[in-house]
Amino acid sequence: MSRLTNLPTLRIRPGTPISFRYGKKLCEGVEGDTIATALYASGTRIFSRSLKYHRPRGLYGLEGECSNTFMRVDGVPNVPAEKTFLRPGMRVVPQVGPGGLRWDVLAFMDKMSWAMPAGFYYRMFHRPAALWPRVIPFIRRAAGKGVLDADFELPGRCDEIYVNSDICVIGGGPSGMAAALAAAEKGFRVILLEARPWLGGSWDHRISLREDGTPLFESAAQLARQVEESPLVRVFRHTAVAGVYPERVVAAFQTGGPSDSFRERYVEVRSESLVVATGCTERPLLFEHNERPGVMQAGCAHRLAHTWGILPGRRVVFSVGDDLGLEGALDLAELGVEVPCVADVRWSGQDAGLLARMREKKIPFFKGWTASRSMGRKTVKGVELKSTNGVHGRRFPCDVLVASAGQTPVTGPLAVAGARLVHDDRTNFFLPGNLPPGMHAAGRMLGYMAPEAMELSGRLAGLGAVLDFGGRTMDVVEEMRETEARLGRPPEGCQFVMAPVKGKKTFVCFDEDTTVRNVNQAMEMGLDVPELIKRWTAAGTGPGQGGIPGHNLPLLVSHSRASPDEDPRPTTTRPPLVPVLMGTYGGRNHDMCKRTPVHALQEAAGGHMERVGVWMRARRFGTEDHVRKEVANVRSNVGLLDSSTLGKFRLHGPDALKVLQRVYVSDLSTLREGRVRYSAMCTEDACVLDDGVVVKRGEEDYYFTTSSARSGATAEWIHYHARYENWDYDLVNLTDAFGVINLAGPRAREVLEKMTREDVSGSAFPFSGYRELMVGGSIPVRAMRLGFVGELSYELHVPSSLMQSLWEMLEEAGRPLGIQNFGLEAQNILRLEKGHVILGSESEQRTTLHDLGLGFLWSRKKNDGRMVGLPALQRTEHQEGRLKLVGFKMTDPAHQVPRDGSIIADRKIWGHVCTARYSDALGHPIGFALVKEPFCVMGARLPIYEDGCQGRLIHGQVIPTPFYDAGGERMKK
Amino acid sequence: MFGRYKRLWSSPPQRPAYDAVIIGGGLHGLSTAYFLASRHGIRDVAVIEKRYMGFGGSGRNTAIVRANQRTPENLPLYKEALELWPVLTEELDFNLMFYNCGNLNLAHSEAALKAMRLQVASAQFHGIDIRMVGPKECKELVPILDISNRLRYPIFGGMFHPAGGILRHDAVVWGMARGASKLGVHIHQGTEVTGIGVQNGRVVHVDTDKGRIQTRRVLNAAGGYSADIAFRMLGMKLPISVLTIQAMVTQPLKPILHHVVSSGMYHCYANQTLKGEIATGAHMDPWPTYTTGTTARYIKHQAEALGELMPCLRGVKFMRSWSGLADMTPDMAPIMDGNEPVRGYYMDCGWGYFGFKSSCVTGKYMAQYMATEECPQILKPFALKRFEEHRLMGETAALVEYSPDN
Repeated sequence: MSRLTNLPTLRIRPGTPISFRYGKKLCEGVEGDTIATALYASGTRIFSRSLKYHRPRGLYGLEGECSNTFMRVDGVPNVPAEKTFLRPGMRVVPQVGPGGLRWDVLAFMDKMSWAMPAGFYYRMFHRPAALWPRVIPFIRRAAGKGVLDADFELPGRCDEIYVNSDICVIGGGPSGMAAALAAAEKGFRVILLEARPWLGGSWDHRISLREDGTPLFESAAQLARQVEESPLVRVFRHTAVAGVYPERVVAAFQTGGPSDSFRERYVEVRSESLVVATGCTERPLLFEHNERPGVMQAGCAHRLAHTWGILPGRRVVFSVGDDLGLEGALDLAELGVEVPCVADVRWSGQDAGLLARMREKKIPFFKGWTASRSMGRKTVKGVELKSTNGVHGRRFPCDVLVASAGQTPVTGPLAVAGARLVHDDRTNFFLPGNLPPGMHAAGRMLGYMAPEAMELSGRLAGLGAVLDFGGRTMDVVEEMRETEARLGRPPEGCQFVMAPVKGKKTFVCFDEDTTVRNVNQAMEMGLDVPELIKRWTAAGTGPGQGGIPGHNLPLLVSHSRASPDEDPRPTTTRPPLVPVLMGTYGGRNHDMCKRTPVHALQEAAGGHMERVGVWMRARRFGTEDHVRKEVANVRSNVGLLDSSTLGKFRLHGPDALKVLQRVYVSDLSTLREGRVRYSAMCTEDACVLDDGVVVKRGEEDYYFTTSSARSGATAEWIHYHARYENWDYDLVNLTDAFGVINLAGPRAREVLEKMTREDVSGSAFPFSGYRELMVGGSIPVRAMRLGFVGELSYELHVPSSLMQSLWEMLEEAGRPLGIQNFGLEAQNILRLEKGHVILGSESEQRTTLHDLGLGFLWSRKKNDGRMVGLPALQRTEHQEGRLKLVGFKMTDPAHQVPRDGSIIADRKIWGHVCTARYSDALGHPIGFALVKEPFCVMGARLPIYEDGCQGRLIHGQVIPTPFYDAGGERMKK
Repeated sequence: MFGRYKRLWSSPPQRPAYDAVIIGGGLHGLSTAYFLASRHGIRDVAVIEKRYMGFGGSGRNTAIVRANQRTPENLPLYKEALELWPVLTEELDFNLMFYNCGNLNLAHSEAALKAMRLQVASAQFHGIDIRMVGPKECKELVPILDISNRLRYPIFGGMFHPAGGILRHDAVVWGMARGASKLGVHIHQGTEVTGIGVQNGRVVHVDTDKGRIQTRRVLNAAGGYSADIAFRMLGMKLPISVLTIQAMVTQPLKPILHHVVSSGMYHCYANQTLKGEIATGAHMDPWPTYTTGTTARYIKHQAEALGELMPCLRGVKFMRSWSGLADMTPDMAPIMDGNEPVRGYYMDCGWGYFGFKSSCVTGKYMAQYMATEECPQILKPFALKRFEEHRLMGETAALVEYSPDN
């Protein structure tokens, strides 16, 4: 088909062809074409088959509101062809089952609609019970549209960008541009988001003249130039808004053009004020076979001609509901399309100028008439028009039927932002009854259809957005008042019209093949709330969401309901407003993990790095067998562990001690300078929340550690429990400011002595001691003598920037002594042998301090009666029936290490194994278990049921802990 | 073929007295009503719903059912629930669309494997069909999984629970409502309970915006609003925090995902519905709120997580997201209790985001409780008193972070 090439509104370059594959065919379009326009121009009329009835479907609209044009493009399923611009070499495959688009073998389903009333599947296939599982595979194969390959990889780069501005305008039509310009004029920064690749909105393709004689498209171009020239307006074209969230967060996604570095990018905009000027779309006209290929919306036909240079058909009947439809009919007639007649559902209210032109062109015009049925087998061959009261009727042959009930606003961004939409009788629109703070609406979506009014309305919203900033100056207020006065009320809109038919094949929702009859069936069954009808008939739950049915369903329901006086209520709109690829939402998906200051050193040393919470940590340095060597080296020599992930905090101020007393179970008033105290925090249920050490560095100045996983959460929890006290304290998170090296093993002191001139002998720096040392000449170190792994060990806290140097110096000094790295797994075995617990490994959420055997940490003499968990600590101390932590060994020392199983007796579960490992030091497996009485007494036999054991139990025996060096001589020496 | 389109449920005018009143037209309320009528002959029952049937969590969940819980208190309950779905389909003569596709839970660390082994051992001990699987078998079950080391958290293995699956949640609501209504239960949509009358420590009436109902039995099964009702109408403070939980679906696809897949580490789960959509959900928003809004962060998070675990899904589009309320107790286990401190007042709440899975069986036992006034053995561990005694249930091993005072 030849293209119109000399229209001023064209957005294509007719001279530059682009070839692409469509199915097995090689097709051609031109630059600027979408897949759908290229296909339409080359004569394609059937674009897909419907889900349930396999009816042929064609190009109905250009806004991506239904799945009619969904195709598989370069492996991506469900791509809307009318919104996807052609790229050379694209591979487009129609989504259709056996038989292809023209000869779909399942087309007979269309004759079966009597057997498939709304919700039929809830009342079928379940009897006999054996039938259902056999039916499922058929249902699954029949459902769904797009095919995705299991090994599909999304080509191209997905990006993300986070931008902010004073004002964000959604919609780059005349109103949106006017709003942006008004705000920029007053000196505010504006971000303008436009879904199409160009600005101009509904004026872009219209050649009608304004009062001053300028054609609308020319007017739009002038506005666009002003917007582009304004240094304060940043325009995002081809950017569709997917969601509007509280505090005016707008999530959108931008499609990249040939010169962009991204395929698609996620755009998140934050602004102080938001103007929504998304305009209107068309309300689908309801009549029999209203979706046969060849039926299309007025805007679709109009834009096919003016934007893409394609005449939609030879003989085109129009059945419209507003002046835009009439304008389209006239413009198409002007271009040489035969228009046998125009039906308008309105009895009056048409623009006199348009009527005069209609008479001039001798186009038969039917007021108060509507299409009642389209005819033809696969595509439209004719139409039956009827007067809306159903009395008169006439038939016309045609190859395209333009059908539209008029305009309906695109309220998605307002609805998801929390505006309550109410039905407005004047415009017949669902308009925002209230707007969330900082939000404004403008333009056609409010019912303003005249060019002047659209601009004024946009300007008013732009000024309103300016006022949100406290930019409340008299001139702005005055200007707003004037603008408002000139604007007046929007004109009356068209009323809801349903052709005088029964609706057996009148489709409310194209995606789900929901007919008016289905809606009536649902209402007969007592589902009379639009939301329930939506769920029962599936209308509006398909790929296009509420696109097609959203405009008609609520009105249809309200019209047919027993109490029609009840106001129609729209169904809920939910984000994303347009379907968005997961790849686009994912964006760059960068990993935000933390690395310790010696990450590189550990990796170079063969560290097997793993993500543990937010951190990367070394599990071991070599194969799994190497762990035994790491353990042995700490037991006999000296090892180095990177413990930088510990939470580290400074707590200081006059009330610092009060804070500590409130959250820790120990009495920290007795803590002396130079000493380290291990303690724990409990919840109000006495369950252990966190543990660590506390150091007193000076008067009113403390330093404490928390477990790695909880550092931030614990700090918040501390603030929470001090929130009503008005205490004077500061809590500083030093987690990332300090690194921690654990130097452990019988020869640890020898290493340290080489590094410092200060006396670190057992008497000068005893177990549980705290010293601030200068190590290696100039590195300030906070050193603690602790014994988590059960050997003589020093925990060295160093400023992060100096940690790598210190680590290297320690390795250097320790080399003659056989110093080696050890990782988390070795630490796990070492501490298990020593009987030390790791929260989360040996404790559950419900495990109390007493359950863990750490009750001795709790100081009863403390004078804070409001210590967190105090009543629970008292109450649970001697409570029966709790899971208690015990140490155990296997009764048969040759037995394997138990996996993680349950303790079973009398057909009941009494507890479970927490951690178990083989101990080289002891020569047999050991472990911790949480068990109830009577299993938590010394010597008890634990029958363990493991996964896959098929009833064959293995047995452990409760023994005292620590398993290793019970007296603690090694760590205290 | 289907005859007339009979009403799914009748809506007769509200009577001045009922044998039992159920607050909440969600699954728990409806199924309790159904079992009261069908098993205990108590048919003079009113279900009072402020909005419409299935407005709350019942219509907002991702309809996954499974019985791989952690504790011996929960396991038998969920096991029975799994066995009850086919029975109910038959009994209600309504296709609940139980798709027994099996659930695969992924482990991304040694610690997660360890936790799973314990869960598997406990479940196997209770006779539940479940087993540990290695990364290779994970890939065989779900070919679109990426089991390579490219993942931030590579897959170490998982547990596969063939007995689990999904249902059509709306079908369950409608089937239960229809079944109950057929037996004489009255369903009152658009009716709000405004008060519960107590005399001498016993429930005597329930007030609604349509008038007073004399009754001696009332069940609070109002989901996200149950704690509010208990406090406003009886002054009972329940240890419940209400949080939103979001879910979303993609556009429908031909079959590609044949099991429910979930990953604790990536905070996501996904399954393909019979309609072909990939339905996915995540963890809760980390602060208490009663708004059912969605957030920009979550849908992005889901896309990041799913796109990493199952890379081909990056080529699929999300088309709808929504959220519902989760009434969370401190131990993530429900409160099922009655006659304490007010005789005739029962509650079935605090289900958080687990309420769908066991709704049928809970209804069965709550009905028994209300009919006999004796707490069934299986419900005893779920009494409210456990919080007073600091005996948390242990359904979740890890500390939960949804309210600052946990």
